[in-house]
Amino acid sequence: MPELAKGQRRISRLAAFFLMIFAILYGYLGGTVEYSFSSDPIGPRGFPVALAIVLFGLSVWYFAQPGQSESWPDRDGQIAAITLLALCSACILGMNFLGFLPAMTIILGGIARLFGASWPMAALSGLAQAAIWWALFGPLLGGHLPKGLLGI
Amino acid sequence: MSFDFLWQGFGVALMPQNLLIALIGCFLGTVIGCLPAIGPINGIALLLPIAYTAGLPPESTLILLASIYYGAEYGGRISSILLNVPGDAGAVMTAIDGYPMARNGEAVKALAISGISSFYGGMIAVVAMTFLAVPLSLLAIKFGPAEYFVLMVFAFATLGSMVGAEPVKTLIGCVLGLMLTTIGIDATSGAYRFTFDQPELHDGIEFIILVIGLFSISEVLLMLEHKMKGTLKPLAVTGSYPSWSEIRYIWWPSFRATVIGFIIGVLPGTGASVASAVSYTTEKRISDRESTFGKGDIRGLAAPEAANNAAATGAFVPMLALGVPGSGTTAVMLGALMLYNIQPGPQLFVEQSKLVGGLIASMYVGNIILLVMNLPLVQLFARMLLMPNWILIPAITALSILGVYTAYSSVMSVMIMFGIGIVGYILRKLGFDMAPIILGFVLGKVMEVNLRNALAISGGEYSILFASPLSITLWVMAAMVVILPWWRRRKRAAPPGLPG
Repeated sequence: MPELAKGQRRISRLAAFFLMIFAILYGYLGGTVEYSFSSDPIGPRGFPVALAIVLFGLSVWYFAQPGQSESWPDRDGQIAAITLLALCSACILGMNFLGFLPAMTIILGGIARLFGASWPMAALSGLAQAAIWWALFGPLLGGHLPKGLLGI
Repeated sequence: MSFDFLWQGFGVALMPQNLLIALIGCFLGTVIGCLPAIGPINGIALLLPIAYTAGLPPESTLILLASIYYGAEYGGRISSILLNVPGDAGAVMTAIDGYPMARNGEAVKALAISGISSFYGGMIAVVAMTFLAVPLSLLAIKFGPAEYFVLMVFAFATLGSMVGAEPVKTLIGCVLGLMLTTIGIDATSGAYRFTFDQPELHDGIEFIILVIGLFSISEVLLMLEHKMKGTLKPLAVTGSYPSWSEIRYIWWPSFRATVIGFIIGVLPGTGASVASAVSYTTEKRISDRESTFGKGDIRGLAAPEAANNAAATGAFVPMLALGVPGSGTTAVMLGALMLYNIQPGPQLFVEQSKLVGGLIASMYVGNIILLVMNLPLVQLFARMLLMPNWILIPAITALSILGVYTAYSSVMSVMIMFGIGIVGYILRKLGFDMAPIILGFVLGKVMEVNLRNALAISGGEYSILFASPLSITLWVMAAMVVILPWWRRRKRAAPPGLPG
C-alpha cells in the first residue's frame, strides 16, 4: 500500500512538473504576442503572463504537496482504453468516407463489446443505436450527417 | 421591489412549447439522476448541443437545462434507495435511511417521502430565490469594470477554499480554464494569441467541445475501468404510500433542511452533496433521540432530500443575480448562454429579465411536474436501473460525438473533443475536479475584459481595483474565505495545549 501511494505521489509530482513547464511556455508565448495597438495599458500580453505566474506558483505548491490521486488502470484497463480511443478515432476520421451509419455502428458496437456485451448483442446494439441516433439527428433534427458509401 | 420579471417569466414558462420542454427536461433529468453512470452535469453537457442544434431560443434552452438539473436531484434518490448506490453526489445521504426502508419492504413509502420532501425543499427554495434575487440584482447597477473583476476574484477564492480537500487543485483548474479563454483573436487589440496559425483556433476553443470532452468522454474512460463490477440488482418497489400523519411528521425536518440547503447552495463552490450531509447530521443531532437514524427513519430520509433540492435551487441565486455561477452545473448553464452571445455578469438580471424570469417561473412549474411525475412513474424509473452499461455507455458516446459534429459539422472538432476528454481523464485520475475548469472558462473572457477596461479608465493605475467601497468589501470577503478555512484547519490540527 505505501508503495502504491509512493507511486501515485511520483505521478502527481510529474504532473506538477509538467504544469510548471507548461506555465513557462504559456507565459513566454503570451509575453511575445504581436500586436500593433491596444486601447488599454496592459494589452493582450498582460493577462496571459499573469496567469502563467499564478499557475507556476500553484504548480510549485502542488509539487510540494501532491495530495491524493486515484490509482491508474491495470494492463487490461489500459488496453481497453487505448482500444476504445483508437476505434473512435479511426471511425471518426473515416466517417466522411464510410458514412455515418457504418462508422457509428462500428464505434457503438465496439464500445458495447468493451463493456461486456456478447459479440452478437454488441453488433445488434451498435446497429440499432446507430439507426436511432441517425434518425434523431438526421431527419428529425435536420442535422447534416456524412452519407459516405451507403449514400444515406 | 418589482416582481414584473416574474409575471413576464410566467408568460414565458407557461407557453406550450416551454411547458413541453420542461416536461421533457424533468423526465430526462429524473432518468439521468437515477442512473449512477451519469450525473446532472454530464446530462446537461450531453443535451446542450441538441438544444443548440434544434435552434431553441435561449430561454427555452435554459428551461430545458435547468429542468434536467433539478430533475436529476429528484432522480438521484431512486438508485440510493433501491440500490444503495447514489445516483448523484447530492443523494449520498439519502441511502443511509432510504435503503434500510426499501430492504424492509417499504420502498414505495421511501420513494414517496423522498419525492415529497424534494418537492418541499425545491418549492420553498424557489420562493426564497424569487425574493432574494431581486435585491441582489439591484447591487448589479453598482458594478463597474473594477468591481466586476474583483467579484470574479471573490468567486474563484470561494471556490478554491470550499471545493474539495485540496484547494490547490481547484485553483489550478480555475487557472487552466482561464488560460483556455485566451486562445483566439483578442477582441480588444485584434492580436492572435496561441492560435499557432491554425484557422480553427481563431475563434478560440468552443464551449460545447470543451464541456463534452471534459465531462462525458473522460467519464466513459473512467467507467471502462469499472466495467467488470457487474450490474447491481435493485430492490423491489413494494409497500404502501405514506399516511398524512407521516407526511406531517417530516414537515419540520424538511423545513430545517431546506433552510440549511438553500444557504449552502447560494454559496459559490459548495453544492447539493455538502447541503445534504450538513442537514442530515443536523437533523440527527436534533431529532435522533431513540437512535433510529440509519435504520430507516423517515426524517433521516426527508432531510437530505429537501436539502439537496434546496441547494440545487440556491445555486441559481449567484448565477442569476450576479452572473457568477454557484456550482459546476450552473457554470455549464451560464456557458450555454454564451453560445447565444449572452455574457455572464451582474447585468444579466437587468438586461435579460425575460430569460431570468422565465427560468425562475419554470422552476415553480417544474417542481409540480416532478412531484406529479415521480409518484406514479416511480416503477418506470426504477426499471431504468436495470439498463446495462453496454447500452448506456455507447449511448453517451454517440450523444457526445453527434452533439459536437452537428454543432460544428467538423470531424476535427470531434477529434479535439476526444483530445480534451483524454486530458480530462488524466486530470480526474490525478484528483482534479472538472467544474473549476469550466468556471474559469465561463468567466475568463469577461474577467480579462473588465480588468483591461478598468485599467483603461484609470490610465493604468491599479489602485482603481481598490477604489470603491464595493471593491474593498469584495477583496475583504475574498481574503476571509481564503484565510478562515486555512486558519480553522491549522487550529484543529494544533496539538492540545499549544496556542492555535
